[in-house]
Amino acid sequence: MVRSHAHIWFVAPAIFLMIVILLVPIGIAAVLSFTDYSLGNPGAEWVGLQNYERIFTRSTYEKMFIATFTYVGVVVPLTVGLGLGAALLIHSLNRFSDIYKTIYFLPVMAALLAMAIVWEFALHPTIGIVNSTLAQGCGTFLENWNWYARSCERTFPLWLTDKDYAIWTVAFIGVWQGFGFNMVLYLAGLTSIPRELYHAAEMDGARSAWDRFKLVTWPMLGPTTVFVVTISCIRSFQVFDTVEAFYPQGGGPSKSVYVMMFAIYEKAIQQNLMGIGAAITIIFLGFVMMLTLLQRWLVERRVHYA
Amino acid sequence: MTAMTHVRPLPRMEGTFRFSTTETIKHAVLILGAVIVLIPFYVMVSYSMKSPSEIMTNTGGLFGAQELFRDDFCVKLGNAAEDCMVRPLIYNYTTAFEKAPLLLYLLNGVIVTLSIFAIQIVVALPCAYALAKLRWWGREAVFALVLFCLLIPVHAIALPLYIMLSKVGLTNTYAALIIPWTISVFGIFLMRQFFMTVPDDLIDAARMDGMSEYSIIWNVMLPTAIPALLAFGIFSVVAHWNDYFWPRIVITGNRDLFTPPLGLREFKGDADGDNFGPMMATATIIVTPLIVAFLLAQRRFIEGITLTGMK
Amino acid sequence: MATISLSGIAKSFGDTRVLNTIDLDVEDGEFLTLVGPSGCGKSTLLRIIAGLEAPSGGGVDIGGRDVTAVRPADRNLAMVFQSYALYPHLTVAENMMTPLKLRDLSFWERFPILGPVLARGKHRALRDQVDETAGVLKIDPLLDRKPGQLSGGQRQRAALGRAMVRKPVAFLMDEPLSNLDAALRVHMRAELAELHRALGTTFIYVTHDQAEALTMSDRMAVMMHGDILQLDNPRRVYGDPADLRVAEFVGSPKINVLPGDADSDGRLSFLGLPVKRRIAGSHGGISIGIRPEHLRLSGAGEGALSGIVRHVEHLGSDIFLHVDIADGAHRLVARATPAEAERISIADPVNVAQVDGAAMAFAAEGHRLRFSEFGAASRETPQMDKAVA
Repeated sequence: MVRSHAHIWFVAPAIFLMIVILLVPIGIAAVLSFTDYSLGNPGAEWVGLQNYERIFTRSTYEKMFIATFTYVGVVVPLTVGLGLGAALLIHSLNRFSDIYKTIYFLPVMAALLAMAIVWEFALHPTIGIVNSTLAQGCGTFLENWNWYARSCERTFPLWLTDKDYAIWTVAFIGVWQGFGFNMVLYLAGLTSIPRELYHAAEMDGARSAWDRFKLVTWPMLGPTTVFVVTISCIRSFQVFDTVEAFYPQGGGPSKSVYVMMFAIYEKAIQQNLMGIGAAITIIFLGFVMMLTLLQRWLVERRVHYA
Repeated sequence: MTAMTHVRPLPRMEGTFRFSTTETIKHAVLILGAVIVLIPFYVMVSYSMKSPSEIMTNTGGLFGAQELFRDDFCVKLGNAAEDCMVRPLIYNYTTAFEKAPLLLYLLNGVIVTLSIFAIQIVVALPCAYALAKLRWWGREAVFALVLFCLLIPVHAIALPLYIMLSKVGLTNTYAALIIPWTISVFGIFLMRQFFMTVPDDLIDAARMDGMSEYSIIWNVMLPTAIPALLAFGIFSVVAHWNDYFWPRIVITGNRDLFTPPLGLREFKGDADGDNFGPMMATATIIVTPLIVAFLLAQRRFIEGITLTGMK
Repeated sequence: MATISLSGIAKSFGDTRVLNTIDLDVEDGEFLTLVGPSGCGKSTLLRIIAGLEAPSGGGVDIGGRDVTAVRPADRNLAMVFQSYALYPHLTVAENMMTPLKLRDLSFWERFPILGPVLARGKHRALRDQVDETAGVLKIDPLLDRKPGQLSGGQRQRAALGRAMVRKPVAFLMDEPLSNLDAALRVHMRAELAELHRALGTTFIYVTHDQAEALTMSDRMAVMMHGDILQLDNPRRVYGDPADLRVAEFVGSPKINVLPGDADSDGRLSFLGLPVKRRIAGSHGGISIGIRPEHLRLSGAGEGALSGIVRHVEHLGSDIFLHVDIADGAHRLVARATPAEAERISIADPVNVAQVDGAAMAFAAEGHRLRFSEFGAASRETPQMDKAVA
């Protein structure tokens, strides 16, 4: 082939943009995280590790980590579990499976901010549909449930403003929004399992659905699961829209929903404390990159079926 | 026939419908799930059609009674009360468009998402082609760079990007909304993987026909990549139409640049009780385009959104 | 003690009828092949025997027990799949152990970690069974590998091993050799036949390759469009096909089929040549089939067809000549010896004659027309033949 330099023109824009938009900012954040820089100020003081020290000692940031990890810890297992459960159920249906698939996927398509505002309204303590529906259950067998009986006597929870419920409610909305995505990924994984494997399992004496799941479905979904868990982690680490919509100031009751993305936004954009924001950014990046690397390692370790 | 029913069908073995208990239980569980999933959509659509009093008392069913009610704002402006009687549905949707320049916001959304997608293609496609089909010094290094950059979520580095943009004075511009997304590392990676599957013979044939490398990309590779591009396009458009975090950061004052989610947020910020109806109407309007497109081309959308699964 | 009998098996998928009322008895220890072109229903029939598919009508009986309503896991059959269907995440040993574990161990004994501790003896015994089978198949060195690390032939053996290890009443094989390359396929044919003799277990083998059916089976059932056209041993199926479609399907190169005539007395001829046989009754649209090995080169003259050689197929031991006759209206394939073929090149005119008594007649609907008064026909005089001509 004749030597051509076409490739330079082809890759140069992409390389330039990758460096300027993705790599340089990391460097900037890394440098700024050691300063007390703020926009508009002429210069900045070098403060060493002070920003990081604050993050790991102040109780605000302790709350930030607790909120973030609680959110991730609730949302990831539930979106993955519900996604798998829904996919298994839908996949085993003889008919109407497409309808469920469509419905469960709707929240993925809808702008989360818009839906957060709707949820806030649905969860409104007095006029919200959730509590008014729950109130209709009062006086029925549901009162056998202690929590329900107590709520009927007094009031149903102020889902979003009670510090005992806030993070769980926000996490619930995260699950509501995210499990359809995982379901679709699992459905794709399920359809790619060769049917002959199930037949082989049946011939081998796998009588119960559980035996077949254990012998074929779960191992064959391994790569899908690794991916689904990672992507769910990264997505839930990045939660912002719901938190900002519900708690534009301060991160919820007693900062119980003060997640990392919101902390970056609040510290850096609202309060112009770029140094501390940059430090949170770096820590955040560290988590996310570690997760992705872990996923790649897990995927590559697997021996694939040729 | 009676004997046959004992043969436990393996998944999806029988196409014919038979009543079965397990099937019924599955449907019951799935319907319960569907109801929970649909609650907010129901609330949104239903309340966008109700009068304030219906919203406050939680009455009116799905569509509201559509009885005339008095628009207090109109009265306050000095009009006669009988001239200010409005139907809730019409009131909510007209208010949504009147109170804020919603059409402008929607237009901004279209401009931003489409520009992002177009630039992503222009940047990613040649790069992917060079990585997949040309041999040159440094190719492995560039691909390694691509793989590394896949690790970086743009949202996570929003802060330094914001600082950079404000240093060059680009905040509160379309450019600020678009620039960080012009490079889609994922797009490069995806297209490269796709081009790897295109036979070399096709490209060699094009070269024999006298095409330049440049026209090979746009006249040979682009057409073959249409399905992958379509899926990527859906992925990209959905992500950026719905994005709230980044516009929130870079668009601070200028309402003319609001994207749909920002517009809705602003609406909520100054909403009083009466405005729930119009607010739900706004939310419905913002959410509807993608939902309708999704319902029309479900398979393509699901393919596109789950594209990330190929990583 | 494991005869398998099918009575009146029918199967439809929606409106498509795949099997029309199949009756079939498989004897104990027999190697039976279901052979036919793709879409003939052979795989469906096998899957009905396995229980993976429920028949729309009819019943399956194994060893005297009606198993139509019994699920696959309880029929004690083993199956080797076309794709082998090995569990990709398990080693070969674990793959082979799976059917043993699922059958012989209780839920708790199968429990990970806990199980092997609780029932160490049982696990050991199963492992011994696996080793024994692996020894027979000579796959001992592969036991710790995963299917992804094996070649096609090795996977095939591993799949066989998984089927053999628990000593089923019959083996069902669904085109097990179709994913192997040609040389290995021929080798495995012999090996499977030997394995069958050594095990003495019933084999039911599905293939679309008539050569596999001819070389391995005790009996073969030729299937087309959901019917068994002929069930017999390979020699009879080849030499005495009951139907034109069977005759055309079995044998390579394909049998020559030419339009034939029968006069009012039932004397047969084709292209003006007498067959020197008669059939009872009168028929229209008769076809005459002659296998390539029943055509030989001859001198010009009576009883020979003259034509032009268009193609010479050299297979080493045999040479097949493709000859256009009747100005290219028909093409015949004739076998020649290498010595004969040496003198012949493309476009040479040649004469081809039939071996007496080898031609077969088929009715327009395809079924075989048996010759009547065999003796009388062979004594027909040349005059009579001329009269016919």
